[in-house]
Amino acid sequence: MNGEDPQERPEQIRNIINGLERYNPQAADVLEAYLQQQCEEKFCDCNANRALLKLYQLNPDRIKDEVITNILVKAMTQFPSPQFDLALHLLSPSHSNPGPNSSSDLAEAVSKLRVLNAQLEGAQYARFWATLDSDDIYADLTTDIAGFEEMIRVRIAQLVSQAFREVQTSVLEGWLGLDSEEEVKKFVVETCGWKVDEAGLVHVPKNPENEAKKTEIREDVSVDMFSRVIKRAWEDNA
Amino acid sequence: MSYENGMAPVRALEDDSDVEEEALVADYKEQVQYGGGMDELDQISLAQQADEIQARLVQAAQPLDFQATLETKFQSYDNYCALFHYILNSDGPVDLEPPSYYWAWDVIDEFIYQFNTFSSYRARIARQGNNEEEAQILRDNPNTWGCYSVLNVLYSLIQKSQITEQLTAMRRNEDPAAVAGPYGSKNLYRMLGYFSIIGLLRVHCLLGDFSLALKTLDDIELNKKAMFARVMAAHFTTYYYVGFSYMMMRRYADAIRMFSHILIYVSRTKNFQKNTQYDSISKKNDQMLALIALCVAFHPTRLDDTIHTALREKYGDQLLKLQRGGPESLPIFEELFRLACPKFISPVPPDFDRPEANVDPIDHHLSIFMEEVKTNMWSPTVKSYLRLYTTMDLKKLAGFLDVKPEELRSWLLVNKQRTKQLRWTDNGLLEGELVNISDLDYALQGDLIHISEAKMGRKLVDWYLRNLSRTYA
Repeated sequence: MNGEDPQERPEQIRNIINGLERYNPQAADVLEAYLQQQCEEKFCDCNANRALLKLYQLNPDRIKDEVITNILVKAMTQFPSPQFDLALHLLSPSHSNPGPNSSSDLAEAVSKLRVLNAQLEGAQYARFWATLDSDDIYADLTTDIAGFEEMIRVRIAQLVSQAFREVQTSVLEGWLGLDSEEEVKKFVVETCGWKVDEAGLVHVPKNPENEAKKTEIREDVSVDMFSRVIKRAWEDNA
Repeated sequence: MSYENGMAPVRALEDDSDVEEEALVADYKEQVQYGGGMDELDQISLAQQADEIQARLVQAAQPLDFQATLETKFQSYDNYCALFHYILNSDGPVDLEPPSYYWAWDVIDEFIYQFNTFSSYRARIARQGNNEEEAQILRDNPNTWGCYSVLNVLYSLIQKSQITEQLTAMRRNEDPAAVAGPYGSKNLYRMLGYFSIIGLLRVHCLLGDFSLALKTLDDIELNKKAMFARVMAAHFTTYYYVGFSYMMMRRYADAIRMFSHILIYVSRTKNFQKNTQYDSISKKNDQMLALIALCVAFHPTRLDDTIHTALREKYGDQLLKLQRGGPESLPIFEELFRLACPKFISPVPPDFDRPEANVDPIDHHLSIFMEEVKTNMWSPTVKSYLRLYTTMDLKKLAGFLDVKPEELRSWLLVNKQRTKQLRWTDNGLLEGELVNISDLDYALQGDLIHISEAKMGRKLVDWYLRNLSRTYA
């Protein structure tokens, strides 16, 4: 799973999340600093971040709102994957489902992020960029995550390459949240290394995913499968 | 005819060999027949040792009355604390034999069950806000049946018994006794430690931590040699929680594999189950069928005949609606999820002063699950159309479906992305390889959709073996 166990994870963190230290409320400080590092250095360790959410779950007095939202935004950059959902499951129900009578800032922020995430998971990329622009709160929520928009853009491009052999620049313009066809051309050529022809059609290099080759599923037969029949035959004779 | 190996994305092969289940059934049959005599022996030996501590051991495995008062629940918690304190903190290991081979499971099971029902009860009192007397008692005792103390008991039993080390040794075919230590070499500790691991799986799942739940079982191999397979209820519980956790991690193929395994096993042992045991299992059985229905809706696959028949009998109408997808399927997803999910709890005491602020944890987890359901609800429609063509124009298809081309592009992307799933091979339950789980693949060239369908070769060997074993039996 994306962003589950990154190579960047230091020894100290590994010890915390794999041992009983993960239940020590003091470990929250270390994990918070580690999250900060992830935000700055553009990598993601959702497994370690869940350990932090678990500590918050057991010790609600330690909760820091901006840490929770940062974890969610980091998890969101791994779309499509269950990471965001797995993090949500660890939040207190009252934080992630704002009732009519219990509106807190955190609950509101979480519900806003859930909208964004649903758009990414649902591959409604143009709508995602529009939502992101629609409210200043999103700028606040993503400000700590270095290169947030760029990460999302690269990820979308990667997903497009797994489904498309050719795609119109106009479609990509909306999906990548860019302002002009020129910017799209610049992005796909420089960042992705794809080609654009005169008609404005972007050509994605061949890869196993965008080929959609015909395959036949064949039966795997191993000797082990016959073991019982052979055993039986032997026993009957004996 | 072309068939690819290596280069093309790996297509998962359905593994519906039932060799494993057969072997388990044979094992269990032996056990039950043998166990008949064991029970009487147990009772005689119990009568002889009317020892107080033995009585407490037996007591700890007894279910609490359904309508137990709050006071009884508090009392029961204290009893467990005292018992576990005695077992864990005496000078050295205590010299006791567990009353039966399933005692340790019963104790851990009952301990967690009471923790679960107590937490749910407490949350309900807070939500309803009309029982001030009990609310006050609960408010004054926030640590009774506290999450930290329950986790503490389970982890301590695991550590004291060195069960993790023992299981690792066993997997390497080494002698577990060499690493068991003074505690772990005793039956009582080894079994409590072992079932505490399964207990942790359950607690983590109840708290919504599905990946940690699966990680907990790293040291236990799910096969017929596993110790839990000797106790039917433990076997059953393990597969339910593992399957459920897989489902919540969107690993539907693995979830189906888990549920199928245990349901086949149950259906084959039905005839020699003792009745009381079977009653409690039959409810969970239906729950797991419902979960299979949910998973199959996300990931259509061929099920074992026994399960398929049972599923059609029990949830035939629902299954059809789930498989059809679209907005009409949403209430069915909700209904079956509520019916079959564990009784989720919140690890901390509720807010007694603001009843309306307490959301039922089941609603919380359900709402997250439903988000994924909504994301995928158009996939069945899209797939049913794509199957009819080898190439298709996107705008034309959008016209058939009466949606905007942009919308259809999103649906196609979603469906394509979801066909790649992690699937377990060996090693830990969380590991797996990314495989293409669908027989339908496609790629877009501008607005032109190229579609390819994988051909299923006939599974002759499997068919032959199945029928052969049937004639033998």
